[in-house]
Amino acid sequence: MILGLCVVRGEMKVILKYSRCLAVCHTVLPEGDGSSDKITYQAASPDEAALVTAAKNFGFFFYRRTPTSIMVREANTEKMGSVHDVTYEILNVLEFNSTRKRQSVVCRCPSGRLILYCKGADTVIYERLAGGNSDIKKITREHLEQFGSSGLRTLCLAYKELSSELYEKWNEKFIQAKSSLRDREKRLDEVAELIENDLVLIGCTAIEDKLQEGVPMCIETLSRAGIKIWVLTGDKMETAINIAYACNLINNAMKQFIISSETDPIREAEDRGDPVEIARVIKDSVKQELDRYLEEAQELLRSPYGPKLSLIIDGKCLMYALDLTLRVSLLKLSLNCSSVVCCRVSPLQKAQVTSLVKKGARKITLSIGDGANDVSMIQAAHVGVGISGLEGMQAVMASDFAIAQFRFLTELLLVHGRWSYLRLCKVITYFFYKNLTFTLTQFWFTFHTGFSGQRYYDDWFQSLYNVIFTALPVIIVGLFDKDVSASISKRYPELYKAGIRNTFFTWKVVAIWAFFSIYQSLIIYYFTTASSRNAHNSSGKIFGLWDVSTMSFTCIVLTVNIRLLMACNSLTRWHHISAWGSILAWFLFIFVYSGIMTPRDRQENEYFVIYVLMSTFYFYFALLLIPIVSLMGDFLYQGIQRLIFPYDYQIVQEIHRHDPEETRRQLLEIGHNLTPDEAASFAVARLPRETSKHTGFAFDSPGFESFFASQAGVFAPHKPWDVVRRASAKSKHRTSKN
Amino acid sequence: MEMDGASSSASGGAAQAILLTSRKPRVFYRFTQQNLPACRPALTPTLIITIFLLTGVVFLPVGLVCLRASESVEELVLRYDTECIPEIYRSNKVAYIKDVSISKKCKLNIKLRNYMKAPVYVYYELDNYYQNHRRYIKSRSDQQLLHGLQQKDISSCKSMESSNGLPIVPCGLISWSLFNDTFAFDVKGGKLNVNRTNISWKSDRDHKFSKNVYPFNFQNDSLIGGGKLDPSIPLSEHEDLIVWMRVSALPKFRKLYGVIEEDLDAGELLTVHLANNYNTYNSGGKKKLVLTTSNWLGSKNNFLGLSYIATGGCNILLAILFALIHVKFPRPHYDTSHLQWNKRGSAR
Repeated sequence: MILGLCVVRGEMKVILKYSRCLAVCHTVLPEGDGSSDKITYQAASPDEAALVTAAKNFGFFFYRRTPTSIMVREANTEKMGSVHDVTYEILNVLEFNSTRKRQSVVCRCPSGRLILYCKGADTVIYERLAGGNSDIKKITREHLEQFGSSGLRTLCLAYKELSSELYEKWNEKFIQAKSSLRDREKRLDEVAELIENDLVLIGCTAIEDKLQEGVPMCIETLSRAGIKIWVLTGDKMETAINIAYACNLINNAMKQFIISSETDPIREAEDRGDPVEIARVIKDSVKQELDRYLEEAQELLRSPYGPKLSLIIDGKCLMYALDLTLRVSLLKLSLNCSSVVCCRVSPLQKAQVTSLVKKGARKITLSIGDGANDVSMIQAAHVGVGISGLEGMQAVMASDFAIAQFRFLTELLLVHGRWSYLRLCKVITYFFYKNLTFTLTQFWFTFHTGFSGQRYYDDWFQSLYNVIFTALPVIIVGLFDKDVSASISKRYPELYKAGIRNTFFTWKVVAIWAFFSIYQSLIIYYFTTASSRNAHNSSGKIFGLWDVSTMSFTCIVLTVNIRLLMACNSLTRWHHISAWGSILAWFLFIFVYSGIMTPRDRQENEYFVIYVLMSTFYFYFALLLIPIVSLMGDFLYQGIQRLIFPYDYQIVQEIHRHDPEETRRQLLEIGHNLTPDEAASFAVARLPRETSKHTGFAFDSPGFESFFASQAGVFAPHKPWDVVRRASAKSKHRTSKN
Repeated sequence: MEMDGASSSASGGAAQAILLTSRKPRVFYRFTQQNLPACRPALTPTLIITIFLLTGVVFLPVGLVCLRASESVEELVLRYDTECIPEIYRSNKVAYIKDVSISKKCKLNIKLRNYMKAPVYVYYELDNYYQNHRRYIKSRSDQQLLHGLQQKDISSCKSMESSNGLPIVPCGLISWSLFNDTFAFDVKGGKLNVNRTNISWKSDRDHKFSKNVYPFNFQNDSLIGGGKLDPSIPLSEHEDLIVWMRVSALPKFRKLYGVIEEDLDAGELLTVHLANNYNTYNSGGKKKLVLTTSNWLGSKNNFLGLSYIATGGCNILLAILFALIHVKFPRPHYDTSHLQWNKRGSAR
């Protein structure tokens, strides 16, 4: 994970200080016995553990921590091959938090010297450096920029020697602050400020935070699906822009609008140090830039072949841009941009931006992140997705969906999300339809009963209609309906746009269902009543109300269940079992119900009715005619709709109608013929998650995949990528889309 | 129709490999992973045209058969509610029908147009008579019809459960309003016999109306709704009551009165002697007498046949229409220009 280590002027002393700083200034806990290959480090952030591991590799092996000391086994410090344990007495720990952006440790060396080691964000450290030594500052600054632009996360290391009387004086204040009851945090910060100054720069570290496999591909697919992607990251602007380039979010053909706080006027104001003035200056410049860019954006959008736009804004400016007065223009500008990158943002700002889009633009938002700092954003969005990775489980705990890698977002949205949307729409509209159809027949009957409210159907029919006769098929559709297969869903991400436009659940769709349920109820009611006025068999006997209503109900159960099969895009055997089973259930029910008389005093209206009905030819003729006439309207509509106004998914269905579908055999082959890249990511995805928290640097555990395979009873040969670097499983991507 | 395999995620493939070993987990796995084999019906123009043609071709002959059956039935309808009231009472029909002292006898003549083959069924038809009114339908006790006076709780018969402090058997509004017009027929040769047995559904007779329950305290009140019942005959043999108590679905309905078991010749003059007792004049109802023959599909009703023919015809027309549309404006299946995202260009 440690990719670059910058030591200015390769002097031995500086290198020692550098490594010692890494080994001492941290809040890591070692676990396991003291041998260097068995130890694991417990750290709040993986970066910290990585830095301590780096120190270990440089010969400063931190192996034990007591409440007041840190023990480091230093190798090769005096001469090559020498190893001796050194105990540093830890006097104070000034902990990291997001406002301080740094962390310090005051320790007493074995020689008795008091030293403060500090590591933190470059901006914070540079503010607190002692004068002089401009060479090292300049070179380190250059390095920082280099590292930043190659997408690495950087930290600066610094130290300061303390005289004992200065320390004693400060320590009193520190203890006071520490034991204060009110505003302890704030006071601690203030006290820390007193000692963390006049630092001497040692160097900087850079940590590569590798993008996960397939992220650029995934992002490109998602943007083809009509999803706009916003990156909200705590990284520096350079890093963020680089990542955005790497993910295809920004490219050189795009017009970039950058709103940064790193401009001269702002820096000048900051130098003067008046917080009120700083705020005013930043706010003014943010307002100016927003207005200017908005104008420019509208001009560019007016020209038909103008470039795509992207907005990059940093946290400090965002703080002012999110102000009530500027919020509207920020939203307007960012909605015109095809990608937005917000860098250096705090967790709170992430949530603010998310709810800005959610409430301001009234779009559906999805937040995805892996770290604890993404939790608020995940909770603010409509849909929260957590990536279970190295940075702990907080994001996963707070999320609605947890996935293992960023790229699985494609699968989650384009396949399962889209299917769910289609299924939900179908289930809701169908429920509406089947109840409307049923109830309307009752409604038409009311007009012929002198408005007395007599029920058309037997009580039990009404009660069981939604419970048995039409219940299961719609559940099956809600579970299994697929318009196109998963692979085609991913191949045509544009299909997802139907969901964004909410094509399948508009008033129009509901109105069409309602129209056809009115039509069907009219057909069913009037056809049964009109055709049943006279005698229906050769013995001249006449039907009564309950015969007619049972006939109607039989037609309804048949019609409604067959209508569901007509609405399905794919019919599994469960569809057939449930739909025809429901119809069968109705007949079984009515055979039993018509055959019994209860001893209770109730109206035995249905007694023998179905047998009377089924003894006539009329029953069979009507049963053939009425459902078919009812469904003819829907069928005609479906035919015309498909022929003349086809939905996208229908065209895609037709394109792939004659494709040899991926059969099960092929699927198995895919499992064995992975490209090395795919195989590696597959193995990463299969790594056990419980142990992942404790490992920091590299994950040297060969044969993981074969281990799993052997557990499942399948032989799998060792593969080169079995040694998987844990680093590649990690992501540093938080995006929010609308 | 095609068979849809499954999704093709790489991880899914390997996981399947593991689960393929035994059959039961595989079925379960495919169920939970929604990878069941599915047929995917696509509504191609050919399929649409085929289905329309097929239904059309099946429905037309079925319709013709039904229509022919219905047309072969000979039906005679005679409205008598006005004609059976003497001229002087026509302005106040209700007073006439309520006055018990006036004889309600009435004689009407019908000339038969066509030959009617036995059995000829005699129906009475009432219009604007709401037998399906909620309070009317509720007012009966099926338990009393089975157990007679043993059934103490007859609260469901409300408003007609007892009179003079004694329970009524059969209780309720439906039986109270029993239709009581009578019909007798003369031809040249003499009296025609009208068989009034076996006019109700057998299941009603055998299981809903008891052989051991006799009418009791029936129509003894001052307010008389309709026909009276002979207290010495059990309920199961009062077939006109059984017919009447199978309530009708709509306010216009027919009920079977009896069967004439002789052939009637064409042109024969039929004299109907009827007692116009039943009061439908309050509600402005109509009363009709219907004589009809019957066949395997029942009596005359063209509705079924006509709707079969209409549907069949429509379907064939639609099939032709679809074929025309398909030929004139074809939309090839491989044509992607109809895709929304190709039409508008991708949105920013």
